[in-house]
Amino acid sequence: MPRPRTRASCAAAVAIALCATLTGCGGGASATADGKVTLRFTWWGNTDRAARTEKAVAAFERAHPGIDVQTSYSTYDSYKQKLATQAAGDDVPDLIQLDYRQISQYAGSGVMLDLAEQRKALPTGEMDPKLLKTGQVGGRQYALPMGVGTQTVAYDKAAWRAAGVIQPQAGWSWQDWVKALRQVKEHRGTYAMTDPGAAEDQFEIWLRGRGKQLYGKDGQVAFSAGDLARWWTFTSKLRKEGLVSPATDTTQMSGSVEDTPMGRKLSVAEFNWDAPSAGYEAMYGDRLAIAPTPTGEDGTFGQYYKPSMLLGISAGSEHPREAAQFIDFLLNSDKAADILGVDRGTPVNSRQRSRVLSSVTGFQKQVARLQTSLRGKLDPPPAAPPRGDNGLQSTFQRDYDQVSFEKLTPREAAENFLTEARAELRP
Amino acid sequence: MANTSTARATSAPASEAAPSGAQRAGGTGGRRPYGQGRPPVRERQGAAWVFLSPWVLGATVLTLLPMAVSLYLSFTDYNLFDPPSWVGLRNYTQMFTEDARLYRSVGNTLLYVFIAVPLQLALALAAALALKSMRRGRSFYRSAFYAPSLLGASMSIALVWRAIFNDGGTVDNLLSGVGVHIGGWVNQPGWALLSVALLTVWQFGAPMVIFLAGLQQIPQEMYEAAAVDGAGPWRKFASITLPMLSPVLFFNLVLQTIQAFQVFTPAFAISSGRGGPADSTLFYTLYLYERGFTSSHMGYASAMAWMLLLAIGIVTAVLFRTSKSWVFYANEEGG
Repeated sequence: MPRPRTRASCAAAVAIALCATLTGCGGGASATADGKVTLRFTWWGNTDRAARTEKAVAAFERAHPGIDVQTSYSTYDSYKQKLATQAAGDDVPDLIQLDYRQISQYAGSGVMLDLAEQRKALPTGEMDPKLLKTGQVGGRQYALPMGVGTQTVAYDKAAWRAAGVIQPQAGWSWQDWVKALRQVKEHRGTYAMTDPGAAEDQFEIWLRGRGKQLYGKDGQVAFSAGDLARWWTFTSKLRKEGLVSPATDTTQMSGSVEDTPMGRKLSVAEFNWDAPSAGYEAMYGDRLAIAPTPTGEDGTFGQYYKPSMLLGISAGSEHPREAAQFIDFLLNSDKAADILGVDRGTPVNSRQRSRVLSSVTGFQKQVARLQTSLRGKLDPPPAAPPRGDNGLQSTFQRDYDQVSFEKLTPREAAENFLTEARAELRP
Repeated sequence: MANTSTARATSAPASEAAPSGAQRAGGTGGRRPYGQGRPPVRERQGAAWVFLSPWVLGATVLTLLPMAVSLYLSFTDYNLFDPPSWVGLRNYTQMFTEDARLYRSVGNTLLYVFIAVPLQLALALAAALALKSMRRGRSFYRSAFYAPSLLGASMSIALVWRAIFNDGGTVDNLLSGVGVHIGGWVNQPGWALLSVALLTVWQFGAPMVIFLAGLQQIPQEMYEAAAVDGAGPWRKFASITLPMLSPVLFFNLVLQTIQAFQVFTPAFAISSGRGGPADSTLFYTLYLYERGFTSSHMGYASAMAWMLLLAIGIVTAVLFRTSKSWVFYANEEGG
């Protein structure tokens, strides 16, 4: 009898010891020994943005020695998926960066803190009220825009000039655009621009230039299959004429500048947002230029000022005050403005805006100049895209793939897109 | 005739070894009448459970529980943000009746399985045969051929693969050099799936090692006897190697088929997560992932996962059923 008992107690001891080590590992970093408050801050972006953000974070930590900010970043696609999973598991970081397309979903689901609760630590008096609205859902401020951006045509100045195309000016029409592409193509002997058909953002510019919108006030799709079919017929014609990239070159685009035809030095122009166009600088240096996007027949501007991204605090954060202090530092302080420049778009704080616009250098200066030149010409941003819109961008690209590989006609693909969009936006 | 008798001879000691081993194990307790001087069964089981507890805990918390939750979710509409709402069988009926892309993904997956699995097994067998006849450097080549299996599942190799099969990549340049102008494989609907399949075929190391072990089990006397009877190398392969190797072949076939149905990483990396170009590499798992994580239909994705489990179960059952007619077990012949 005694032998087995010892064996059993040994086993128990081993098991207990095992449990102890396991829990020891699982403890995590929630309690820091020196009583510091730890904030988690996640965002998406490229390495250039990461370098600037890290610098700003370090400056904040120097100013607030009691706060430690842990950062992590990834590309937009994987960021989106990770954040959604964290939201499902109640493990959202304290500070999160959101796209305009995400705000309805996250604020509407109780993931975000109502920033009115932290008004003292986070004054918004110097921010443009029209832009502040982009972070509001149901009248409450859940996030603050970090910057303002607009769509552009990024192009290789040297290649365009060699073809005899002078710098496009605000107000050029889609016809002017096609003419320019034809000229560049004839000179180069190959296509001039990346096929814009796959990107919903470009469709939106074209659509708004015709006085229409992606979404109506009811949160439903506000354009018809005919509208979309017309756009895709237009881009398909350009593709068949050899003015824009063929399907095989367009299909690999995945949201990072390096994967696009212009990033791969196949085309010499591409639609993109203004601040992210900085990514082309690595390939084109000071040959890189940006122009406003083409306008509709009657001169209607399709592009608009969009909050490039929004920053908010998670409802589950244990340190909302410190988190609010961090946002205040990032958006309102001189120090952060000098470090970040227009990397996340031009600042929303009007004082920082004029400070940054007058002091930026290099490519950022072009962004500042473009935004200044468009001042007063653009319509205010449309209301935040409804919940369920999240996956539609990739649906759009996928459906256009079917068009550009000539598996479906523009009309068929447009019908497919609207069917799926209506199902996703089901109230 | 010679080979069946040898097979019986070799299998005999193996089948005898088992009972004698069992007797020996029972022998220590056998000194006294069973049950005396031993702790009651329940107590002994208690100790067993204590030792098993880490595994049981892991299996329950990390596997069984999530599976149960996923089964529940498959009957709900769940978007990660709002609590799941019960929809009964709607996800399942939608899969069968409304979802054309699902059928597309099933077609792609089957095509992939039919290309990748036979090619991979053939290559693995060929490599194993070559290694077996090798006198020197066998362990070096074995490791060298096995290496892709260690690397291949990783994201980085898939990305390298994408570069190799891209426009202006290695393959494009080589083929252009001999006058074949296909362009990049990964951005053409007709070729992309093949580039993914080749990545899998290249990872033939694991089945190769198993084949090699199986080959070394085949008694040399059989080949000698066959040689005396005047059999050539092809005859030896068809009449000795293949039948004797069939259980191993079957094992590899089942394993690789199950794995092929679940292919994900290479297609994800090569198509930037979208199953492109034009849905040509949209495998079932990739579509499942897209439904779950891109469009936030977790309920639907769960239902898809359960259908995959069911499908793999059925395919495996069919393979087992057919195995009776072509798999030869040396010891069953003797009984």
